[in-house]
Amino acid sequence: MARKIGVVGDKDSVMPFKMLGFDVFFASDAREARRYVDRLAKEEYGIIYLTEPLAEQIPDTVKRYDDVIEPAVILIPNHKGSLNIGKKRIQENVEKAVGQNIL
Amino acid sequence: MNKGKIVSVSGPLVTAEGMEEANIQDICRVGNLGLIGEIIEMRGNIASIQVYEETSMVGPGEPVESTGEALSVELAPGLISQMFDGIQRPLDKFLEQVESNFLNRGVAVEPLDRTKQWTFVPTAEVGARVTTGDVIGTVQETPVVLHKIMVPAGIEGTVKKLEQGAFNITETVAVIETEEGDKELTMTQKWPVRRGRPTARKLNPTAPLVTGQRVIDTLFPVAKGGSAAVPGPFGAGKTVVQHQIAKYADVDIVVYVGCGERGNEMTDVINEFPELIDPNTGESIMARTILIANTSNMPVAAREASIYTGITLAEYFRDMGYSVAIMADSTSRWAEALREMSGRLEEMPGDEGYPAYLGSRIAEFYERAGKVIALGNEGREGSITAIGAVSPPGGDTSEPVTQNTMRVAKVFWGLDSSLAQKRHFPSINWLESYSLYQNEMTAYIGKELDTDWTNMVIRSMALLQDEAELQEIVQLVGAESLSERDRLKLAVSRMIREDYLQQNAFDDVDTYTSIQKQFEMLTTILSFEDEANHGMELGAYFDEIMEGTIEVRDRIARGKYIHEDQIEEFKTIRETVKETIHQIVERGGMEENA
Ligand SMILES: Nc1ncnc2c1ncn2[C@@H]1O[C@H](COP(=O)(O)OP(=O)(O)OP(=O)(O)O)[C@@H](O)[C@H]1O
Ligand SMILES: [Mg+2]
Repeated sequence: MARKIGVVGDKDSVMPFKMLGFDVFFASDAREARRYVDRLAKEEYGIIYLTEPLAEQIPDTVKRYDDVIEPAVILIPNHKGSLNIGKKRIQENVEKAVGQNIL
Repeated sequence: MNKGKIVSVSGPLVTAEGMEEANIQDICRVGNLGLIGEIIEMRGNIASIQVYEETSMVGPGEPVESTGEALSVELAPGLISQMFDGIQRPLDKFLEQVESNFLNRGVAVEPLDRTKQWTFVPTAEVGARVTTGDVIGTVQETPVVLHKIMVPAGIEGTVKKLEQGAFNITETVAVIETEEGDKELTMTQKWPVRRGRPTARKLNPTAPLVTGQRVIDTLFPVAKGGSAAVPGPFGAGKTVVQHQIAKYADVDIVVYVGCGERGNEMTDVINEFPELIDPNTGESIMARTILIANTSNMPVAAREASIYTGITLAEYFRDMGYSVAIMADSTSRWAEALREMSGRLEEMPGDEGYPAYLGSRIAEFYERAGKVIALGNEGREGSITAIGAVSPPGGDTSEPVTQNTMRVAKVFWGLDSSLAQKRHFPSINWLESYSLYQNEMTAYIGKELDTDWTNMVIRSMALLQDEAELQEIVQLVGAESLSERDRLKLAVSRMIREDYLQQNAFDDVDTYTSIQKQFEMLTTILSFEDEANHGMELGAYFDEIMEGTIEVRDRIARGKYIHEDQIEEFKTIRETVKETIHQIVERGGMEENA
């Protein structure tokens, strides 16, 4: 069964995703971001894209979904460019899973 | 009556010939020492006699004389606060007479003090018609026990004379005019221990026996008039459970039978009990207790009798309309005594060498418990609750004594050695134990508390069962895979185990918990789950809640040490839980109305 995909972020960054047909949720601060991520998780979204600047502000929320299979919270750069935490997280997770950094 | 002659002696079993006039169950005087024995088998003129005293130095050729009486107990004021051996010889008198801890053989001692004066208060009227079981007078035996003097079995007639004032138990206090002439009554009755005392009718148990032990009262309650078994391996806490119930059960009379266990345990009881105060009456608990001791250093045959002696005393007080609890520690030692005698009689052995009648003997004991209407025109209601410890060798509950006990006892408090090793006491396993009275008793308590106690109990049981399943998952795939709700379940069931079920018998406050306090404690723990779930619904994370409530959870954990007269404190704790979680939610960025 196909999983729903949601995108959470500031308006400018996530607008393009809307045109691609994703469910898009605008969040301008941590409070809103946390609320949307938790809501989407509860509504059984399989993948949640979250912009890096917001992710930085809600580490507990991001961590909360680290260990669970669904949803996968995937960090994306916003329109101003990447903070590289998305990539760092992937590396960390790979390291956790494989035992060494192979990327 | 003719004297017989000893043919052989094998430990506690003596065979004698020339006994044709004697009957089975007769009490005999055996040998030159005049040891006390009971005929347990008759074949022609040969009697097999189990001797209640040590038989060394007794040999063939010595005389045996039957008394023609069955093994009986004396029932009169003076029973309470006493310690007897298995055939009702008072142990303190004994110690005085023989000046040794071991019973000197052949010494005859009166079971009860015959010189002590009791104040007899008549309650019947001259000219009144009375029959078996009617109360004709009372004696205030201890501050909490009003000893009712009842018309003995088989006597019916008109009260011709009734005394008032101080009498000893051998003096006449009443004269009853019967069809067979005038009968003089003293305050004493005798009753053969192997026969249950008659009652008007049996009733179904309705009220719980409140023990103050949380795991028992909440999860596995026993009814007044019910029966319970406490099986447990070596050192799992059987004796402590029995002692706790003897100390705190809300009954009128306690009969404690120490059967084949360590001698110093009974010494502990004697030293400790008089100093303990009954939370229900404010008097010393010894003022309602009778002790029967047949410790491992006493002859094995008397151990067999001790159970019957105990239950007969219990029945006598039940007849007065009292609730009685009888504890037997341990019925396994009693069964071993049966096995030993059976082996010496060369009977056909059954399971594991126990006689084939083991099951029926165990059943007979537990079936003498129960709630009844006593004989007598007042319709007095009394109960006996029987609680037996079972010590299965190696903790293997498939052995005959445990199995036969489970068939008759309606409550099963299975002690668990792995819990005991983890110092989880009482080590009653919450998944394996059961009480067939649970529905009725929790409903009863709920009515008393005016709350849905049943629902709280069911919910707690369900949490503990879920915990066991969740823990299996955790072992397989780790705690991370659980949902936050399940992780909360684990946290709350742990609170139930550690903050509620665990109870330290040796802590002054924790040793006893009233039903009211049990309700407060459990409500507090369950309300933590409700509040936490609510908080999570409002967007708080499980980890946030656990971190934020460390302090208040610690207060819940220490709830067991809150004094009985300060239980309003639980309400404050619950309010703190609510506030704390509310704050966590706010910090987590969610509005209450989300
Ligand atoms: N409720 C309790 N609170 C604290 N400690 C307890 C409790 N129950 C048992 N214990 C501890 O366990 C010990 C053994 O208990 P107990 O003597 O009752 O075991 P038992 O099953 O009767 O052993 P045995 O098989 O030797 O007769 C006690 O001395 C005590 O230290
Ligand atoms: Mg013991």
